[in-house]
Amino acid sequence: MGVITEKTPLAKVKPVKFLLNWGRRYSLWVFNFGLACCSIEFIAASTAKNDFIRLGVIPFAHGPRQADLLLVAGTLTDKMAPVIKRLYDQMPDPKYVISFGSCSNCGGPYWDSYSVTKGVDQIIPVDVYVPGCPPRPEALLHGIIELQNKIKDEDIQEKFLSGTTAVR
Amino acid sequence: MGRPLSAEDVGTRLRARFGDGIEVTDSFGHAVAVVPREAYRDVVRFLRDEPDFACDYCDFTAGVDRGPGGFEVSTHLHSTTHHHNVRVKVRLPADDPVLDSVHDLYATCDWHERETMEMFGIRFEGHPRPVKLLLAEPFEGYPLRKDFPLMSREVKPWPGAVEGEEDEDE
Repeated sequence: MGVITEKTPLAKVKPVKFLLNWGRRYSLWVFNFGLACCSIEFIAASTAKNDFIRLGVIPFAHGPRQADLLLVAGTLTDKMAPVIKRLYDQMPDPKYVISFGSCSNCGGPYWDSYSVTKGVDQIIPVDVYVPGCPPRPEALLHGIIELQNKIKDEDIQEKFLSGTTAVR
Repeated sequence: MGRPLSAEDVGTRLRARFGDGIEVTDSFGHAVAVVPREAYRDVVRFLRDEPDFACDYCDFTAGVDRGPGGFEVSTHLHSTTHHHNVRVKVRLPADDPVLDSVHDLYATCDWHERETMEMFGIRFEGHPRPVKLLLAEPFEGYPLRKDFPLMSREVKPWPGAVEGEEDEDE
């Protein structure tokens, strides 16, 4: 079938759509954008006890160009914001973003800071928010399952044509 | 291996060299020397080069905003041979916060002075690259000054939304 684009043939045919989305949701190469203490919980989720590889999330892509899923874990500062935008733009479509932890959701405990971006969704579209400060590894597993449920019902053509890659 | 100097000894030696304008107190075993602005660079050089002090390690340079009392720059020196700590403090007037740079005496001070520069607006004369270190380039103002307004707190005073309280506000 080759590279998935908005022109992928038969993508709206039900069995093809099922197969396509089934394949995509269980092979999410993850790009870890660890910025603070949350990334430790993220690493914990990748190790033996929680092990998100059993959900098909493969750690770690060597760079954004190999990744399907961007996982922002930690405090995003205004100085770092252009970098995350650039990395996100380098990821191939279709791409997904999980915002992990209070800081990347909304600024968290740094809500009144002069230097912290109040939520990564001001920079890039976010698919799933995982709340907590920091969230437990189990919360990330739940977030991944939520994302996979979204991908399951997704129309690949709509995903491309919507202009934004976020699933709403 | 040398022996650590007490705060009194530090005071005696500094006053013998730089005159009575220097005030040294003991703070939890560290000597704290308040020096005049003009003597700052010479005192730091003296503490580094004098064998009795041999302060070969600079821990940090930082700023303090004392409100109407102006600013304070504090440089913490440590000796890895004598194991004593000397903190050099300089009081600066609020309307003219300028101090000599010591980046050539301690390489550590290069970045620490840049941080103090962007956070407090204290100018370090002779610094080779006086640009922002941690803040984004377009940032305006000096965020660690007491009079710097935090826009989020203008909208909602500290401590912000407390859990369970949000619904009552809206």
